[in-house]
Amino acid sequence: MGALDGVKILDLSWGIAGPLGVLLLAEQGADVIKVEPPGGDPFRAYSGYAVWNRSRRSVTIDLKSAAGLDAFGRLVDDADVLVETFRPGVTDRLGIGYDALHARNPRLVYLSCPGYPEGHRLAPRPGYDALIQASSGQQWEQPGWRMGPIFLHMPMPSMGATFLIPSGILSALISREATGRGQHVRTSLFQGALLYTTQIWQHVENAPAAFHDLMGKSYPPGVHQQMLFECANGEWVHTSVMSGLTPTESQDHLLGLDDAPDPYEFMALPPDERQAFTDRRREGYKTHDRAELVANFQAHNHAIEAVITMEEALGATGAPHPQLLANGMIATVEDSELGTTTQIGVPINLQSTPGAIQGPQPLPGAHNREILGGLGYSDAEISTITGGSR
Amino acid sequence: MPALDGVLVVDFGQYLAGPFGPMIMGDLGAEVIKVEPVHGDGMRLAGKPFFGCQRGKRSIALDLKTPRGLALGEALVERADIVHHNMTAGVANKLGIGYADCKRLNPDVVYCNTWAYGLEGPLAHFGGLDPLYQASAGLEYEAGAAHTGNDPLYYRFGMCDAANAMLSVVGSLAALYHQRRTGEGQMLWTSLMDGGAVFASDALLVDGEVVPRPRLDQGLHGTAACYRLYATQDGWIQIAAVTEADWMALCAALNAPELADDARFAVATLRAEHREQLETLLVPRFLARTSISWTHALDDAGVPNEIPLDSLGGELVLNDADNVALGMVAEYEHPMMGTLRQFGELIQFSETPGVISRPPPLVGQHTREILEWLGCDAAEIDGLKNDGVVTWPGDEYPWAV
Repeated sequence: MGALDGVKILDLSWGIAGPLGVLLLAEQGADVIKVEPPGGDPFRAYSGYAVWNRSRRSVTIDLKSAAGLDAFGRLVDDADVLVETFRPGVTDRLGIGYDALHARNPRLVYLSCPGYPEGHRLAPRPGYDALIQASSGQQWEQPGWRMGPIFLHMPMPSMGATFLIPSGILSALISREATGRGQHVRTSLFQGALLYTTQIWQHVENAPAAFHDLMGKSYPPGVHQQMLFECANGEWVHTSVMSGLTPTESQDHLLGLDDAPDPYEFMALPPDERQAFTDRRREGYKTHDRAELVANFQAHNHAIEAVITMEEALGATGAPHPQLLANGMIATVEDSELGTTTQIGVPINLQSTPGAIQGPQPLPGAHNREILGGLGYSDAEISTITGGSR
Repeated sequence: MPALDGVLVVDFGQYLAGPFGPMIMGDLGAEVIKVEPVHGDGMRLAGKPFFGCQRGKRSIALDLKTPRGLALGEALVERADIVHHNMTAGVANKLGIGYADCKRLNPDVVYCNTWAYGLEGPLAHFGGLDPLYQASAGLEYEAGAAHTGNDPLYYRFGMCDAANAMLSVVGSLAALYHQRRTGEGQMLWTSLMDGGAVFASDALLVDGEVVPRPRLDQGLHGTAACYRLYATQDGWIQIAAVTEADWMALCAALNAPELADDARFAVATLRAEHREQLETLLVPRFLARTSISWTHALDDAGVPNEIPLDSLGGELVLNDADNVALGMVAEYEHPMMGTLRQFGELIQFSETPGVISRPPPLVGQHTREILEWLGCDAAEIDGLKNDGVVTWPGDEYPWAV
């Protein structure tokens, strides 16, 4: 059994944060119904859709029709949680706003995650991830190979909201155990972006400049960037000074730099000599094969990872990453549209109530008959409710 | 009353991936007791990242390696709903606060361990820092557009730590909800490695083959000609012309009917196929006007766009009137560092509002009051301090803030 067995979630969300946030709950046992408009979620073609939307059933409902709204209301009567990602105001216009549904089902936890919070001057503006990367200041925080804002390939605002959505839902469900009542829980992609500023955005009145410089933005990019090294064949590794283990041989010796100063001698060198040795070290890395270097460093208790693509981690070019595999994070999912797929697994590990993938992404309306028929609707009524889509 | 009112989280973690999750649970209303060594959390030396993960907590500084210190740790575990830490393999067991120890003391407890790599497996015995998992999940490869010949690029947000911590929040709360319904606690774990993988969860293999996903251009502007940054006469603009209607609107805003009629760019798939040709045509056009002129023109035409904000290291966002009014900025007074400001409420509740009022604690700032709460009398407490089992700040503060 899963920790969230019996929790019923209506998922009206689209994009990344809503579907992926809901996924984290679905794979701990929650029963999720994706409610799609006639014709299906317009974002089906996006990369990642098949992963983010797995482990749920799908029903298509035309919320703009009276019959659709009626059927949706009956799903709400039986639901614990609703998740929506429309712009503020849209659900009220559709007649499925918080007030209306709370009156109908006071136990309902109603989670909203628009681009910007309701009441913010930016709330009427479009909420695509890259726009919030820009407006929230994140693009300017990231140094790159040129001055100016850097587009973040990782959709950072969405990936923040991804975690805030299930955190808010679970908090409200825990609170409901005591109060018996649901409530309106609100977050946004904008707040998702703020989540990742925790290490860098601190206003500290009495802080010296060094406090800001230590982990601050810099050109060229700072501390951790300097630990990326190019190996043979144009491949790269990232090393770290901390492995939690006691190294049995220094990194420099493993690189073949036998005359290397020890770390204390190195720190005491004049800057130009330090730079000269750092350059030699960079050249040293280039003489080593990446796979051999990683194996050798790890065998001597040094923290190191190959800089690979996620597809390589999943096993596209050989063996998958051995620890990702050990963590159960390489999953095979039979997808009715795509065929045999390899995707990430379940990233939260509850030992007594283990989570599990509940099934592939559903085709739009794949469960119309099962869900709507279960409510007692006839085939003709189902056709009206679903806008004739299936 | 906040959502997690009455929930006690005992936080034995140090650095980031341990402490950040309990901080977020504190924002949601949990009471969080930070148990740190008598010389302080090792992350205190780093300044900003430490402050970012510690607000709302009370600190008790004690030496778990002494029998009396361990007994105090055990007394806290007995009262905890959630025990949370990020120690590496075997460390908690050796200290006497492994899951078996905690379950013996408190059979219903939820016990969460955030790992670097994972519970078991070839690298499970390693600790590790965020950059390793940005590497293993392909984040650095994609961030730097390494496929174009660029160097890989580290994201300076340290977000694998945050992902690990947030997975631990979701997992701990799911386990707590289960415990509230069944009376059964349990152990759970998350990892930096898996947190990184979530960030790249759009990666997909079909029959073992790569399904291409959008990639950055060499200049790190964006992932499509109509979903990217463009330099303007005086700065930058981010556009997101995603739908076909947006594309037509963009052509109108650019005053470029010839683009709207160009068969190479007729639909999104063709614009992706001819991305470089389209970008070559758009770059000089955007350079011809200022950013503010463009945002008005694009707004008028209905093209989603924003001017990237240079927030001066977050200052402009943390002082923005709307952000402050909506509770998204938290401000508190620190006994040594003056006024602190950080992001505020990231989740808002209509019935159970959160409260963020306490700055990051000094080493052992609340040792005394927590010991009193555990039932120690004044003589006992002074004895513990004299024997080096616990500590708190006196007239002098010898530790990192």
